[in-house]
Amino acid sequence: MQQLRTDLTDRQAIADYLLEEFPFVKDPGVLSPHEGGRSKGLQRLEQFPVEKYAKQRNFLDGTVSVLSPYISRGCLELEEVRQWALNRSKYNALEKFISELAWRAFFRLIYIEEGDRILQDIEQPKVAMKGHLTTLPEDIANGETGIPSMDTLIQLLKDEGYLHNHARLYLASYIVHFRKVSWRVGADWMYSLLIDGDMGSNHLSWQWVASTFSNKPYIFNRENLERYGGSVLPGDPRRDDPFNYSYEELEAQLFGGSFVSQPARTSGKYR
Amino acid sequence: MAALIWFNEDGINPDHEMLRDYADAARIYIFDLPYLQEWNISKHRIQFIYESLLEIPDIQIYKGEAAPILQQLATQHQAREIVTSETPNHVIRSHQREVSKFTKLVVYDEVYPGKEAAVSRRFSRYWNKHDREWMAR
Repeated sequence: MQQLRTDLTDRQAIADYLLEEFPFVKDPGVLSPHEGGRSKGLQRLEQFPVEKYAKQRNFLDGTVSVLSPYISRGCLELEEVRQWALNRSKYNALEKFISELAWRAFFRLIYIEEGDRILQDIEQPKVAMKGHLTTLPEDIANGETGIPSMDTLIQLLKDEGYLHNHARLYLASYIVHFRKVSWRVGADWMYSLLIDGDMGSNHLSWQWVASTFSNKPYIFNRENLERYGGSVLPGDPRRDDPFNYSYEELEAQLFGGSFVSQPARTSGKYR
Repeated sequence: MAALIWFNEDGINPDHEMLRDYADAARIYIFDLPYLQEWNISKHRIQFIYESLLEIPDIQIYKGEAAPILQQLATQHQAREIVTSETPNHVIRSHQREVSKFTKLVVYDEVYPGKEAAVSRRFSRYWNKHDREWMAR
């Protein structure tokens, strides 16, 4: 039983100390801009213009709360954030934000009910996935896929321990559907890197993308990426661009007619 | 009756009501090494947790294996109960089950609207059922 010191205040000194105490952890070489602590979470809450959220939330450079690390680690509680929002703005502007809090609760409820079964397919996949890779290709782990937009997202994840939700979905879709990697492998990798890693939200979102927790696979195309990528993503080369197709073309290329829509279970146990 | 407050990584709140209810209890956090290593938890997350813990007055932070350390601390402090907060994390829940084998474990539930047992597997159905609760002041 070893007790850790608690007298450090400088963030770099804390980083150096933690790397000494946890020598198996990889040094990311930079400090995350997201500093832990309830006080920091409360500051972020006070500065969050919730009324802009509904219109801007899908844009990678739009206004989002970036409260997730603080809510996931319990520095802020879901209910207090909900109450804060309700006292802050008009009903119509709030619904989208509150429903995102409810998504988090929804994932928690499923996770509590299912336990570690969320690490397996919740439902049958709606597209063929049996041949998907069971290890993460190195170029993805290293952020060297050769696609600048995806490499930017991977580097952001590694440098900051955080990604905008839409960016997480892009990356998950790229890894599962374009690169044919098992969702579980991708989910474990992202979970390990996220400050706000929470297996309920993370693994079930990957299953939602994969189609084992949704009625269809989530894919995106060039048009969508350019619309929402904003100033965050660099342009990708047009040559051999895997995303520059219509959704119909992508479905044919990626799933080759294997897409099978199934009725969803309504509730409760499924085994 | 002596107690220990055991924080987990999903509930690092220096304003949590368990701190008021058990004002004299030692405040404990354990970086569980098997969990960190099995799940390859990043340094950024460890630092975020550590920085969050530093806002809890008199926090004692340990590294090792959660349940055995808690057993040792409970003996040292002659604690009759260990107090913690609810988490969905199945690894931490398994630690909670181990702890409850050697002492009384008090778990503070998380509070939010729409908390139900057999939840729908589609968010749209969940939201349609509970949106009024979520939107109620």
